[in-house]
Amino acid sequence: MIGILLAKLKSFIRNPWTFLIFTGMSMFFAFIFGGANVDKAYVPIHAVNDEIKDSFIGQQIEEQEGFQFSWMTEDELKEKIETGNAEIGVILQENDFNIIVGVDSFNTSLVQQIILGIYHEKKEREQILLAAGQDVSDKGNILSEMDQVMERPIFNLESASFRGEGAFVYDNSLHRIFGFSLFFVIYTIAYNVLPILTEKRDGIWDRMILSPLKKSEMYVANLLYSFITGYFQVLVIFSMFRYVIGVDFHGRFLETLLLLIPYVFSVVALTILISAIVKNSQQFNAVLPLLAVSMAMIGGAYWPIEIVESKLLLMLAKINPLTYGMEVLQGAAVYGYPLEELLFPISILILMGVVMTGLGIHLMERRHI
Amino acid sequence: MIELVDLTKKFKQMYAVKNLNMFIERGEIVGLLGPNGAGKSTAISMLSSLVEPTGGDVRFDNKSILKNPAAFRKIVGMVPQNIALYTDLTAEENLLFFGRIYRLGGKELNRKVDEVLEQIGLTDRRKDVVKNFSGGMQRRLNIGVAMLHDPEMLIMDEPTVGIDPQSRNYILETVKRLNEERGMTVLYTSHYMEEVEFLCDRIYIMDKGNLIASGTKDEIKQILSSEKTILIRADRINGKFVEALEQHSLINRVTIGEKEVTILVPREANVFSEIIKLAESTGLELLSVDNKTPTLEDVFLHLTGRALRD
Repeated sequence: MIGILLAKLKSFIRNPWTFLIFTGMSMFFAFIFGGANVDKAYVPIHAVNDEIKDSFIGQQIEEQEGFQFSWMTEDELKEKIETGNAEIGVILQENDFNIIVGVDSFNTSLVQQIILGIYHEKKEREQILLAAGQDVSDKGNILSEMDQVMERPIFNLESASFRGEGAFVYDNSLHRIFGFSLFFVIYTIAYNVLPILTEKRDGIWDRMILSPLKKSEMYVANLLYSFITGYFQVLVIFSMFRYVIGVDFHGRFLETLLLLIPYVFSVVALTILISAIVKNSQQFNAVLPLLAVSMAMIGGAYWPIEIVESKLLLMLAKINPLTYGMEVLQGAAVYGYPLEELLFPISILILMGVVMTGLGIHLMERRHI
Repeated sequence: MIELVDLTKKFKQMYAVKNLNMFIERGEIVGLLGPNGAGKSTAISMLSSLVEPTGGDVRFDNKSILKNPAAFRKIVGMVPQNIALYTDLTAEENLLFFGRIYRLGGKELNRKVDEVLEQIGLTDRRKDVVKNFSGGMQRRLNIGVAMLHDPEMLIMDEPTVGIDPQSRNYILETVKRLNEERGMTVLYTSHYMEEVEFLCDRIYIMDKGNLIASGTKDEIKQILSSEKTILIRADRINGKFVEALEQHSLINRVTIGEKEVTILVPREANVFSEIIKLAESTGLELLSVDNKTPTLEDVFLHLTGRALRD
């Protein structure tokens, strides 16, 4: 078994291109769509007077993380909208605001909600001052005292939601990294399982069968090698985003890496099953992209599965390892679930892995004594 | 040593091999000859315990290898039709890998690797990656791998397909030498009858899954004892001439090539003058008319009506 692993390792070192290409593509897509913050929509903003910009409203707007607000004159703002450089623009007044819409998208209502919320908060603070009967000179004191008290409340109020009841948190960077990693690792693993087919066709397996080597050693060595390369790829991608680009895994980086194991195992098993069903490497190459892209689409690798409404797609997602892989990783890093909460998807992945490995090896073995 | 008893392999409704009976004695080189699709590879896959037969038995020293293949597998070396090597590894790394799976190690493994490289003439290229080798060199290494564990018997499935004549001769000489110097038993399958004629003591001929002839070279050629082969060469073979040959009462079989026609006639018949007359009457310009010594190819043609490489 060690001999097979060493031979494969040497082949890998001499020909690492499949691994490098899929690792590179995975990082590229995750970086472009998630890591580089290109999803932060650009919103030009103008205040009718400078006092508004320096006031509570201006400060709150600059603290917003979801959009990239950029201050400018009204003419510049209108030009940005007209030339299509921005979807929407905002003009702030003392007690009101206008949104100029160039392209109507879901960003319009989000920006409206954000600005409206800031104006509500401003009004609340004015009402508090009014209720406290304070004069203008003590205004700063009472509000800063209130802010300090709010930072150390008497009661800690926590809100929680049950999984599956509609509430979902979306961390775009992590979602893209997880999604593209889980998607591209299917290819890396599959192209490491594919040599089993070519080795069988060329007679390398026949040579090994005739040797004192046990069949179990042959399968374990091949599966282990595919698992190690697949896992190593995701390890490289996650480490790159964590330590080089600085993506926040919310303190669960190590857990994320460990929780990947069942997913990688199930993908190895899936590719074993495919290679047992297809008759040659041409069929394998035809089936693989169809399967991998379908799995990514219905498993929530490209977009959050929470936005999928089709019952058929949601049903198919339940037999898709990638769905559970995403669930485990998101559960750990984004939702901060403890291990007990993740046991269900982990168990399904392990079960899928065991069943597909067994079935795959059984089908492969039918031909031989 | 090895005996195949009514060995049969059926895929759905089609027989790949049907009731094959043959035997191989120790120290023999036995040829299994037949065109592509004759069932040779299936037969040797069953013989080497890699494919389960639908019926029949394979016996090694009077014991069935189907139930317990381990004893037979120890003494057999397999040379598959394809290049069964890791092409990203060097020649030496391939030999070390396959040696290790045969539980060789340390100095013994290194000695065997050196010895095999010497035998197959690749000592100078031991550090080269296999994918950079020529087809002939890859074939030689393919054979070398099968010899690492000193097998008593070598099963070679068309080991010279697609290589240059020089490499082919090298391989044939190597096989002959292994047999003569070490007494190695060899089962050699091919659709090149000249290879089988050169190497083999006894020959089995298969077609469409059936054994159609067996025996020594001379015994098989005796099948043609009642007939002789005449080769007619011309600038351009015309239809009228062929038609005339086919209608001639003394001519048993006519096979047409691009610039030649082969006919089978009774051994005693003198048809030379008849052929010249037919050529004249049909306007054919003859280049030569030769009486041919019968070959295995002729035997195959006689038995099946087709050439071996059809």
